[in-house]
Amino acid sequence: MTLFEITDLTYRYDRQTAVEGLSLSVDEGSRVALVGANGSGKSTLLRILDGLYFGQEGAVRYRGQALTEERFADDAFAYGFRRQVGLVFQNPDVQLFNPTVFDEVAFGPLQLRWPKSEVRDRVGETLQRFGIAHLKDRVPHRLSGGEKKRVALASVLVLDPAVLLLDEPTAALDPRSQSQLIDLLVEWGGGAKSVITATHNLGDLGDIADRCVVLDSGRIAAEGAPAEILRDRELLERTNLVHAHRHRHRSGELHSHPHVHSGEAERSD
Amino acid sequence: MHIPDGYLSPATCAALYTGAAPFWYIALQRVKKALHTRLVPLISLFAAFSFVIMMFNLPLPGGTTGHAVGIGLAAVVLGPWAAMLAVSIAIVIQALFFGDGGITAIGANCFNMAIAGSLVAYVVYRVLAGRSAIGSARRVMASGLAGYAAINVSALLAAIEFGIQPLLYKDAGGAPLYCPYPLSVAIPAMMLGHLTIAGFAELIVSAGVVAFLQRSDPSLLRATAGRGVELGEPVAGSALRPLWASLVALLILTPLGILATGSAWGEWRARDFSDPAMRREIAVSSFHQAVPPRAPEGLARLSQVWTAPFARYAPPFVRSATFGYLLSAMFGAGLILLACLTVGRLLVRKEPAT
Amino acid sequence: MSLAGRHRQGGFLERTIEGLCQAMERAMYAEDSAAGGGLLQQLDARVKVAGLFALILATVLATRMWVIAGIFAVAVVLAAASRIPIGILASRAWLGALAFTGAIAVPALFLTPGVPVYRVPGLNWVVTAPGLTTASYLLLRVETAATLALTLVFTTPWMHELKALRVFRVPVVFVVILGMTSRYILLLLETAQEMFESRKSRGVGALDGTDRRRIAAASAGVLLSRTFQLSGDVYLAMQARGFRGEVYLLDEFNMRRLDWAALAGFAALAAAGVWAGR
Repeated sequence: MTLFEITDLTYRYDRQTAVEGLSLSVDEGSRVALVGANGSGKSTLLRILDGLYFGQEGAVRYRGQALTEERFADDAFAYGFRRQVGLVFQNPDVQLFNPTVFDEVAFGPLQLRWPKSEVRDRVGETLQRFGIAHLKDRVPHRLSGGEKKRVALASVLVLDPAVLLLDEPTAALDPRSQSQLIDLLVEWGGGAKSVITATHNLGDLGDIADRCVVLDSGRIAAEGAPAEILRDRELLERTNLVHAHRHRHRSGELHSHPHVHSGEAERSD
Repeated sequence: MHIPDGYLSPATCAALYTGAAPFWYIALQRVKKALHTRLVPLISLFAAFSFVIMMFNLPLPGGTTGHAVGIGLAAVVLGPWAAMLAVSIAIVIQALFFGDGGITAIGANCFNMAIAGSLVAYVVYRVLAGRSAIGSARRVMASGLAGYAAINVSALLAAIEFGIQPLLYKDAGGAPLYCPYPLSVAIPAMMLGHLTIAGFAELIVSAGVVAFLQRSDPSLLRATAGRGVELGEPVAGSALRPLWASLVALLILTPLGILATGSAWGEWRARDFSDPAMRREIAVSSFHQAVPPRAPEGLARLSQVWTAPFARYAPPFVRSATFGYLLSAMFGAGLILLACLTVGRLLVRKEPAT
Repeated sequence: MSLAGRHRQGGFLERTIEGLCQAMERAMYAEDSAAGGGLLQQLDARVKVAGLFALILATVLATRMWVIAGIFAVAVVLAAASRIPIGILASRAWLGALAFTGAIAVPALFLTPGVPVYRVPGLNWVVTAPGLTTASYLLLRVETAATLALTLVFTTPWMHELKALRVFRVPVVFVVILGMTSRYILLLLETAQEMFESRKSRGVGALDGTDRRRIAAASAGVLLSRTFQLSGDVYLAMQARGFRGEVYLLDEFNMRRLDWAALAGFAALAAAGVWAGR
C-alpha cells in the first residue's frame, strides 16, 4: 500500500528553492534513506512529509489523503495524523522544552488528549524501554548528547507511530551511542512500521535502509539499493557526499581517492 | 528600574496590579485571537531574550555602562500586546525564578515597563517610522527613539509612584513608611539616570539590533511595519532629520536662557510681591504701574495648589545651574514630544492589528 | 539593576561573561537545592507559594519595626531549617539588597525633616529621627522580602512553582510561556557565553567605544537571530507532537497532613504579623 505519494513538489522560502519538482513514492513497511549533503533539501522534505511545511506547487498524499494546511485545521484529521507519523529533529534541544524528562515524554500523549492514567503508564513503560527511567526527574537539556537523543526519540515513540521520520539521527553522537541508536531503531522497526531517515552518514546506510534516494539541490539525483548507491563513486562525488582527497606519496606520485567523513554535526538545510 | 519589595505601600502595589490586570487580559486575548500559535514559543523566546539583555553591560559614550531592557525591540518586532506579555514574563521570571525579589512589585514593574513601556515604544515607532521602507535608516532611528522614550516613560511612572509614598504613607511618628523621597526628589533622581544612561543603553540596543535585522532577516520587521510598506532598499536621508537636528540644537542652546536677567513678565511667585527687590523689577517691567502691596488673593490661593517638581528649572540637588537647565529642557522636550506623538497616534486612522 | 553607569576600561567582555556565569549558576543552584532534604522542600509547592507570599505581604503591610524584624527572624529560621547556607543567603540576598537599597536609603537619613538625632562631625549633615526610622523601614523590609523570595526559589522546583501559580488562577497559556521561557533563558545564556568566549579568544580585547558598541549591538542581533531560528523549530517540534494551541499539564499535587499543618502555620504567622503591625 502506498504510504506517501509526492507529485511534482516545489517548496520555496525566503527567495530560495529548497525542493524542486520532486516526485517520490514510499510504500508501507519500507525503510527509506534520504541521502544528501547539507542543503540538498532532505530536512525540508521530511518536514513536508510531516505536514509542517506545505509546498507552493505540487501535491503530497498520505494514505491517499492530501496534506494541506486546510486539512490540518480539522482536529480529527490532525490528531490522527500526529499519532501515526512522528518526526525526530536533528537538534534535540529544539525538541526538549519541558522541565523534566518525564514531562517531556508525556507531552505528546497529553497533547493528543489521552487519559492521564494511561499517559502515566505509557510514559513509564517507554522510559523503561529506552533505558532512561533513571533520568525521569532530570532536566532534559542538561543531559549528555546521547541521553538527549534517547529522550527525544522516546518522546516521539511513546505515541507508537506507524511512520517514523528521522532527521540525521546519528549526528553529534559518539560511535558507541551511534551504534546503540541504530540497534534501537532496528529493533523498533519491522512489520508494519515505516522509517524514513535523512542522513549524510554513508556508514549507516546498510543498517537502516532498504532503499536510498539521493538528493541534490532539491531534486532526486538517483535511487536504488544502498549497495548500488555506495558503489557509484561518481554519483557520490557529484552530489557532494564524498570528496576527492589528494595526497602525494613519498615516491612523488599524486594519489587521489574518495574520502568520507563520518557523521559530523552540522546544521543541515 | 526594577522596583524591589518595600519601596511601595501595599495599597500602591495593589492599585498597580489592578491597573495591569486589564492590559494582561487584553494582551492574552489578542495573542490567542491571532491564532498564530507560533506566537507562544516566540513570546517565550523573546521574554528570554529580554531577560538576558537585561544582564548585558552595554558600553556607552564616556566609558560608562548601562543596562537595557529590550522593550523597544520587543515592541518593534512583536507589536505592543505580545511585547507586553514578553516583558511581563521576563519580569516575573526575574522575581520568581531568579529570586531577585520584587514579588509584590510585579504589578508595578509590569505596569511601568511592560505595559506603558511597550505602548509608548510602539506608538513612537509607528509615528516616527511612518511608511518608510523596512530597510530604511529612518526605521532604525525610530526604533532607537522608541526605546529611549519607553524607558524614560517607565522611569517617570516609577518616579511618580515613589514620590507619592511619603505623602500618603507615614507612621505614627511622621516617618515615611516606604520610599522616603517626595516627587521633587524622586523625579529628578530617576530621570537623571534614565534620560542619560539607561535611555541611551536602550536606544543603542533597539537601534543597533533593528539595523542588524534589516540586513540579516528583514521579514521579522514586517509585522509592525503597517500596510503597503515595501521591503525596499534603505531610503537616503529622511525628511525628519533636519527637524530632529534643530530640536537637538535648541536643547543644547537652552542654557543660554540663564543669561537672560530677571524673570519673564507675569511669571512671578506669590512671595515676590513681598520682596522689595522683586517689586522694583515688577514695576520697571510694567511701565511703572503701581505694584499691589501684597500678592493678589487669587494668586496667593492658587499658588498653593501646585508645586512644580522642577521649581525655577533647577532640580534641587543639581548644583550646576546650566546642567539643571539642560536637564529640565530635555525633560520638558521629552514630555511634549510624547504628548504630541500620543495625540498624533490617536488621530491617525487605526489599522487592523497585524 | 544599576541606575548609575560604571567607569571601566576594557572589562566589558569579561564582566559580561562573569555576569552570565553567575546568573546560570544561580538558576542551577536553585534547581539542585530544591531537591535537597530540608524542611520546606518537603512541603507541597502550593503551600510554599501561598505561605511565603503571605509573609511577604505581611512584611510590606507592617507599620511597626519590630514586626518586620520578627518576620525577618522567621525567614532566616525557615531558610536555615531548609539547609540553605547562611553564606549563600548573605551573598545573594542580603548584600545585593544592602548595597542597592542602602545607597538609596542613606540620603533619607539626612533629608527627612524632623527631630535631629546626630550630627556628622566635620560636615554639616544632620541625621533626623524620622530619617533613621524611614531608612530602617526600607532596609529591613527589602532584606526580609529578599530572604523570603530566595527561600521560595531555593526550595521549590521551578515547574512546581508554576503549577502552584495555577492555583491562583493564572491562565494556562501564561504558565506555559513561563515554563518555556525559563528553559530558553538557560539555553540563551549558554549561547551568549559561547559567543563571548569565542570573541574573547579571537583577541578583541582592547577596543574603543564605538567598536564595542557595534559589537554589543551585533552580538545582541546574532543572539536574536538564533532566537528566532530556535523559536521556529520549537514551534514545529511542538506541532509535530500534537500541539494545537491549548496546553495540558500532568498535575500531581496532593496535600498531606504536613502540608495542611504548614499552611495553618503560615496563615497564623502572616495574620499575626498583619494584626500586630497595624
